[in-house]
Amino acid sequence: MTAHFPRAETTSAELRQVTLQYPKGPTVLDRLDWQLLPGQVVGLLGRNGAGKTTLLEALLGLREPDAGSVSLFGQDARRLDDATRARIGYVPQHSDLFEGFTPAQLLAYFRSFYPRWNEAKVEGLMSRWEIPRDQAIRKLSGGQKQRLSIIRALAHEPDLLVLDEPVASLDPAGRRDFLRELVGEVMDRGATVVFSTHILSDLERVAFNVAFLTQGRIALQAPLDELLDQVRAFTGSVTEMAALMARLGAEPLKRTPLEAGRERVLARLPASSAQAALPAGVAADRVNLDDLFTELT
Amino acid sequence: MHVEQFLHINTGSPEPIYRQLIEQVRRRIAAGQLKAGDEIPSVRELAQALAVHPMTISKAYSMLEAEGALERRRGLSMVVAAQHQRAQSSASRIELLRPTLQKAADEARQLKLPTAEVIGLLTQLLDDETQA
Repeated sequence: MTAHFPRAETTSAELRQVTLQYPKGPTVLDRLDWQLLPGQVVGLLGRNGAGKTTLLEALLGLREPDAGSVSLFGQDARRLDDATRARIGYVPQHSDLFEGFTPAQLLAYFRSFYPRWNEAKVEGLMSRWEIPRDQAIRKLSGGQKQRLSIIRALAHEPDLLVLDEPVASLDPAGRRDFLRELVGEVMDRGATVVFSTHILSDLERVAFNVAFLTQGRIALQAPLDELLDQVRAFTGSVTEMAALMARLGAEPLKRTPLEAGRERVLARLPASSAQAALPAGVAADRVNLDDLFTELT
Repeated sequence: MHVEQFLHINTGSPEPIYRQLIEQVRRRIAAGQLKAGDEIPSVRELAQALAVHPMTISKAYSMLEAEGALERRRGLSMVVAAQHQRAQSSASRIELLRPTLQKAADEARQLKLPTAEVIGLLTQLLDDETQA
């Protein structure tokens, strides 16, 4: 597999201590640190209003943070050169296509900006996804616009693909087909992909890593496989729990107080003992991605 | 074998996808559905068919290789390892069911269900499958 994931010296994206506040509004990003490495597919998870779109826009240099720094392929995101800009693909949450253009006109227009343009891929996807080439974009359905936006973002074979709720208007078959394309992008070129979605089943398939955005920070980023293998939900009295965590060497991720001095603790076991049996009398439940989302965002 | 039908995955499970894949390959080998020398889909084929990250597939394959279920043929795809000539005895196949049944047994105890009723349900489920 190493051939698919070339080792690179620079990160695809790096955010350091990024703070962003809306005028007279709440702090959306609060000294946020985040790194995306080449070949990673990262699913960004967060509640509505947690700031996922703001974070992705800040990552792309589309929104200037109040403090902190953002770099893409080692370059300051505020001053990207054209070559670096051409390495990035973006599918915004809300279609920003020129409504008066036809898909054919739109693609011809964008083609002129990029040194690389995979016409065969564009043609293949346009046919497979049944997008009328010569009808005004404003007359396309939501799903068709979203697919066109995806084609536009893939056409120049970006090394970093940022997708904000890319599948919201797609039906299950369309979503599966789109995920296959993403997997292909990763295998063919070792592209870095970050995407946000509320459809956790999609994320579970393709996102090898998941990142949880909460209270303005990436609270946790880890391979999903490892989290499912290592995270357990424990319930017991507060004093028992403290002793248990110490005994297991577990890292508490979230504590939820229950009545009568009891609590529920979501904790990550050390990788070395995650598959071993727990001590007698200790009750722990395995968790799925839905549980992780609910507890950690 | 058609790639799409080779393995399937359940999302929303506490069991990570790579483990689901490992378990399915183990079961198919144990049942003799996969035999020594049978080719299995490449990482690329299976990743694309299931729309799953290729690292998840290669993680499962590497672990199956390490436990002797699969072998890597030089320059070719992975195949079922030479030792798996025929289906395992039912005595060793049933061991593969132990973790699932252990869990069911634990839950049945928590629910305070009489043993006969639990066995009855299992029998019914097995019969349903045969008819379907």
